[in-house]
Amino acid sequence: MLLPMPLLRMRDATFSAGETRAGPVTLDVEIGERAALHVASAREAAIVAAMASAVVKASSGCVLIADFDPRVQSVACKRIAALVPHEPFTLTENEFARYIEYRAELWKLDPAGARAHAAVLRRRLAGIHEAFAIPLIGALIGMPKLLVLDRPQPVYAREILAAAGRCAVLSTHDDAAAARAFAPKALHFLRAVES
Amino acid sequence: MNSRVAIAVLRARLYAQRRIVFYACVAAFVAGFVQPDGLAAPLFLCSLLGITTALAQSPGLHPYLDSCEASAPLFGRQLARAKALVPCVAATLAVGVYAVAEALRGAPSVPITFAISLGAVGAATLTALSATIRRGAPRVFYVAIAAGIALAAYALASEAHSPIAALSLCAITAFLALRQYGEALGRYDPI
Repeated sequence: MLLPMPLLRMRDATFSAGETRAGPVTLDVEIGERAALHVASAREAAIVAAMASAVVKASSGCVLIADFDPRVQSVACKRIAALVPHEPFTLTENEFARYIEYRAELWKLDPAGARAHAAVLRRRLAGIHEAFAIPLIGALIGMPKLLVLDRPQPVYAREILAAAGRCAVLSTHDDAAAARAFAPKALHFLRAVES
Repeated sequence: MNSRVAIAVLRARLYAQRRIVFYACVAAFVAGFVQPDGLAAPLFLCSLLGITTALAQSPGLHPYLDSCEASAPLFGRQLARAKALVPCVAATLAVGVYAVAEALRGAPSVPITFAISLGAVGAATLTALSATIRRGAPRVFYVAIAAGIALAAYALASEAHSPIAALSLCAITAFLALRQYGEALGRYDPI
């Protein structure tokens, strides 16, 4: 009998380019699971989040997103995993509408549906500062199965996890306390396993 | 190419860079209105504008557009074609505005000047796009190649009196530059 694959599987996943290096990271994230990864630096957290969402390809080791390899099937991976970057950004009302429309076009979603979904998410994330809510709304309108958060604000952990709904969440952190805010006792708290 | 994605990228980036496109068109109009006849002014000025608008697609200038595009479920070549449309449209507008200014001034041989300038500007712009995802010497190298292509097109059209050869050179280099940009964007890690 075949065992079901985890939604995200990283095995000794390492990124290296010149002086920049991240990993090796070994972890599994199952469907609907909440996981937080504590790494040594902010830079490494950003790179690991990008690797887990197929934005950056691992230089060595293995990353599989729902059985798809980002090195050859990056489009399929990016439909499943959505990255929320660390950098907040503010937009005017008009720019926000354009932003949602732009993401809807890139993800080939129905623009009206995306706008309605964004409005619902915006109400749900009313407690979060807009600069942090906008990237999260942008990521969630694509209806990903895995939400990858690069150093999210621990103060908003409850709202973010509630907005994610049944979507699996992996957050990367350079601070252990922040990581614990996203993976409470009942859920898994993962650490990079060095090979 | 998926036209929906291409139009979306074109609209978003042209909106974000509307000022640079406007200034490029104004510069082209002024130059076209006051410059003497000939191919040098439209070809080199508009190539410069094309290279500038291509470099304006570099990562970091519009971070939220960059992050959307990097995480969007698109192949490198799809994104490359969509992003290449932006400076090409801006440069074509500049060449068109220059030609209109020349025509208003009553300059001779506007159509042939327009065709050769458009070819050279397109090739230079597409070549300069490869510089946007590189740093240091490789970036300078691609900008230099883009300038070299404009120079070669001018030499072929104006000195060798062979506009067909100039247009052929531009078509071949534009095709190769777009392919190269797509390949590079597919391998590019936005770190």
